[in-house]
Amino acid sequence: MATYDFLFSSLGLKEWCAEGKSDAPMSMAALLNKSKGTEGAETSLWDLPFPSMDALNESCAAFPKSRELTRGLEEGFLAIKDNLSIVLDPITQPLSWALDGTLYGMLNTPWWIVIPILLAVVLFVTKSWKLVGFVAGSLCLLAFIDYYEYAMQTLAIIFVCAFLCVLLGVPIGIAMSRSDMMQRLTVPVLDMLQTLPPFVYLIPLIFLFSVTESKLYGIAIILYAIVPVIRLTNLGIRLVDKDVIEAANAFGMTSHQKLFKVQIPLALPNIMAGVNQTIMMSLAMVVIASLVSAPGLGVLVLQGIRNLELGVGLVAGLGIVILAVILDRVTKASLARINASQKQ
Amino acid sequence: MRKLTPVALLCALSVPSLASADCGEVSITEMGWASNAVVTGVAKFIMEQGYGCDVTVVPSDTVPAVTSVAENGEPDIVTELWLNSAGEAYLELEKQGKIKRVAEVLDPGGVEGWWLPTYLVEKHPELKTIEGVMANPELVGNQFNNCPSGWGCRVVSDNLIRALDLEDSGIEVFNHGSGETLATSMASAVQSEEPWFGYYWGPTVPLGKYDMTRVQLGEYKPDVHSRNQTQNADNPGVSEFPAATILTSVTTDFSDREPEVAEMLSHMTFKTSTMSALLAWMDKNNASAEEAAVYFLSNNGDEWSTWLNDSAKEKLSSILGE
Repeated sequence: MATYDFLFSSLGLKEWCAEGKSDAPMSMAALLNKSKGTEGAETSLWDLPFPSMDALNESCAAFPKSRELTRGLEEGFLAIKDNLSIVLDPITQPLSWALDGTLYGMLNTPWWIVIPILLAVVLFVTKSWKLVGFVAGSLCLLAFIDYYEYAMQTLAIIFVCAFLCVLLGVPIGIAMSRSDMMQRLTVPVLDMLQTLPPFVYLIPLIFLFSVTESKLYGIAIILYAIVPVIRLTNLGIRLVDKDVIEAANAFGMTSHQKLFKVQIPLALPNIMAGVNQTIMMSLAMVVIASLVSAPGLGVLVLQGIRNLELGVGLVAGLGIVILAVILDRVTKASLARINASQKQ
Repeated sequence: MRKLTPVALLCALSVPSLASADCGEVSITEMGWASNAVVTGVAKFIMEQGYGCDVTVVPSDTVPAVTSVAENGEPDIVTELWLNSAGEAYLELEKQGKIKRVAEVLDPGGVEGWWLPTYLVEKHPELKTIEGVMANPELVGNQFNNCPSGWGCRVVSDNLIRALDLEDSGIEVFNHGSGETLATSMASAVQSEEPWFGYYWGPTVPLGKYDMTRVQLGEYKPDVHSRNQTQNADNPGVSEFPAATILTSVTTDFSDREPEVAEMLSHMTFKTSTMSALLAWMDKNNASAEEAAVYFLSNNGDEWSTWLNDSAKEKLSSILGE
């Protein structure tokens, strides 16, 4: 009756097939056939189904259906999740502490301390009064429309996540640049991190940790945003002029000295560009992170979408843009300073 | 009025034959949750096979569907529309005459409420009521899993929390970011038999899959509940959630165009218990929503045959016949 019957009979697997029970639910196609009264009609070559798991199952009930695969994955994950969480929970715990601590710190310090500190940092890294004025204006605008608290929550999350991205990403990038093997292994992982929809790994993570833990959104942001800093660190070090390395070798530098005295300083513009991209990408994740309970402007965007409060959604979205512009200008300005100092 | 009668009669005579001969293109929403996928699957099958329509399924969600009807008059059919989450925008559309409700697709409607896993209630029977929960916050893990912001239930739950002084009893309120995390937190707690206390609604796959017990919040008081539906209500009260009204609505344009199909939709009502059983079946067999629709169609013929007109019954007789 089914297309691939001949396959199993020719392999002599008829008996094995008969052991399987066929209590599978009826598919829509079968019901349609039934309503048209065309059940059991010969299928032409044109309609030949691909020998997929489901098609083979039709011929041989003992052959697993494709849903067994997904069910097996789910059961496998549930079976190992307790052991996994014993390992992963303590490792990621500092992330929760860092996020909670920074959020607490930034929200419980009065605005007239937080804003000047932020401005001082901007002045320190950019040495540009024009930029300080711009940042002050933007922050005051956000505070004026009563979005100060949300904006600070978002900023706090981005600071922590971007800092950790750099802390983890730069060493990985250096390792990649020093070994071609490492690069071959890491690049597919980086590609995957950038394209995998976040919810695919977030839902299993909720099973591992509690959903109330702030590390959940921290992990989501870091996994997505760490990619550019790794890529650009790797690229930057690999792009260092061969002649310079030769000169360093001629001076008898150890590989340690070469790395810290030659390669990293020369790769710094690229690394800073990576940091800039990392910050931008963590900002892009703010709304998705709010789906796993991250506080901040993302919550307002979601609320705006769900309630059709267009105004709330637009203003919160604009707030994210303002934060993005601030962070972008500040990192670009410090990048320009590094470039300028290298040219001298 | 008298002049109209022959015309109306003529219409009544000619339209059915026309409509059944050539029902045009129909678009129907499919919301993101399981029970709706089943409803849409069943409706699509009946409309295509019984009425000869050309059905397009539009994946959507409550608010986008309502907005789309408001702006473009599409999709034609919005089914399993939770009235309480569609909100003012929907009622406004009804007033303008752009859309009309034809049936309550689930009878007696959806259940909403605050839930605990049944194993927890069996072990500690005092948790059956909200007073018992508040007296023993440590038994429910000192935590209430609240609705995501922007959901209709969030407003009600927030007001209930204030009316009950839930946080003073030592229960921390955790506001979820999305329905997905709310469901997953419940699933992961139930799977490891940990306490879980929070809002959920049915019929849904999680409530079909996990044995949950609703915490008694007291009586349903209509005036208190309606007061609780405004954000930061001045004097929130304690009231149980009523059964939620879940509608099938069609655009008025569509019901003029395809009165036959609209008529069928007005009879299309699932018993909530049937739907829960279907969802449980779906989970047990790891089946897709489409297969659940087939399961319903092939096993509950006596139920859905009453929705059809005679010509459709005839066309589908081979399935109904057994």
